[in-house]
Amino acid sequence: MWIPIQLNETSAEPLYHQITVQLRALIVSGQLVEGTLLPSIRELAQQLKCSIITIRRVYQDLEAEGLLRTRQGMGTYVAEVEESDRDKYRLASVIPAFEAAVDAALRVQCTTAEMESILRQAIAKRIEMQSEGGGEK
Amino acid sequence: MDTAVYLNRVKMEREHFLLGPLQLEIPRGYISAIVGPNGSGKSSTFQLMLRIYNPDSGQIELFGEQLTNEEIEVALKQRIGYLPEEANDMESWMTGSEKADFIKFWYPTWNVNRYSDLIRIFEVDPKLKLGKMSKGMRRKFDLAVVLAHNPELLLLDEPSSGLDPISWKRMIEILQKYMEEENRTILMATHIIDEVKRLADYIIFMAGGRILGFYEKDELMGNWHAFFVREQGDVGKHRLREVPGFERLEDMGGGFIRIISSNAGLAEKWFQEEGISVSGQNSLELDDILEVLIETKASF
Repeated sequence: MWIPIQLNETSAEPLYHQITVQLRALIVSGQLVEGTLLPSIRELAQQLKCSIITIRRVYQDLEAEGLLRTRQGMGTYVAEVEESDRDKYRLASVIPAFEAAVDAALRVQCTTAEMESILRQAIAKRIEMQSEGGGEK
Repeated sequence: MDTAVYLNRVKMEREHFLLGPLQLEIPRGYISAIVGPNGSGKSSTFQLMLRIYNPDSGQIELFGEQLTNEEIEVALKQRIGYLPEEANDMESWMTGSEKADFIKFWYPTWNVNRYSDLIRIFEVDPKLKLGKMSKGMRRKFDLAVVLAHNPELLLLDEPSSGLDPISWKRMIEILQKYMEEENRTILMATHIIDEVKRLADYIIFMAGGRILGFYEKDELMGNWHAFFVREQGDVGKHRLREVPGFERLEDMGGGFIRIISSNAGLAEKWFQEEGISVSGQNSLELDDILEVLIETKASF
């Protein structure tokens, strides 16, 4: 099974952290539903070209958070997510993405006003695209 | 950690070459890759592990046991698959099938179905004489033979040499599949960076007969970053050498300096705190890391 995780190799954020954040987001957002059997540690490591040490750590952390469950000899499954957790985690994956964008802007000395205007434009553009896309269907 | 191969202060001296002292523990259940330039002692290390050579001093253990007598040696070697760097010329006269029949005799766990599966996946014609096979086909045949008895430990010395890209992909897939069973271990020597990226959990750097370091791959790749900074005002080379994990600094032209740090997380913070704007940042390739390590760690 392919898991939609995209790694940023130019970031100094450790791989295990990037994977944990994204996998957690997939679970709490409901894209991976309760009871889904995740790939084996070796399989996910192959997909993401990272070592099994990293994936084992990710699975262990998410298991400790109660988002995953491992059954001996059966594999690792998505556990049930409480509604309150869903809200708590929903923004957790979005915030770092915005922070990365701010970093990129700061590298070229953007002002606060410039950043805000870029953000507004980006939002407006996406919403327009979405409504157009919806219209065609 | 459970250890598959253990080297304790192993040393071997030859007329023009000194290997060691080597201190090394290969963890069981993982893929470890020895990376190093030609002549760094990778192949000799494999040969020492299998007692093809005897060390001048030090101890070697396989699965926690020393090869003290022939009985133990045979029993331990039956659990290992060893692919040497060069194919054996003395076998050229026999066909693939003849060699398989000969090898089978020594391995009680030889699995005929597995052997024929591998031969089929690799598209090898075992009726050919080994000396008549192309370099690539011979490599694939030898790989099939070392895998056919389902060894617990694979020692692969430059496994992909001579393979075309498609066969190389097959090999990667086969090795990944091999690891799916529990407590399987691979130790491989390679110069192919992509091979290490796709397969390895741990990396051992070797140069000049010495081990430069043993690393967890993702940690290593995550820690070594290059930062590009414009030299201006009080941002001089002198100050940039204070970056955490500083390894190397070079002029890139156009007023840009490239700084390599082996502690990217702290370095990133340092640049922010010092108010130095970073124009670019990327992780390093393994060969770049090796080059810096050879420069800073190995004194010949």
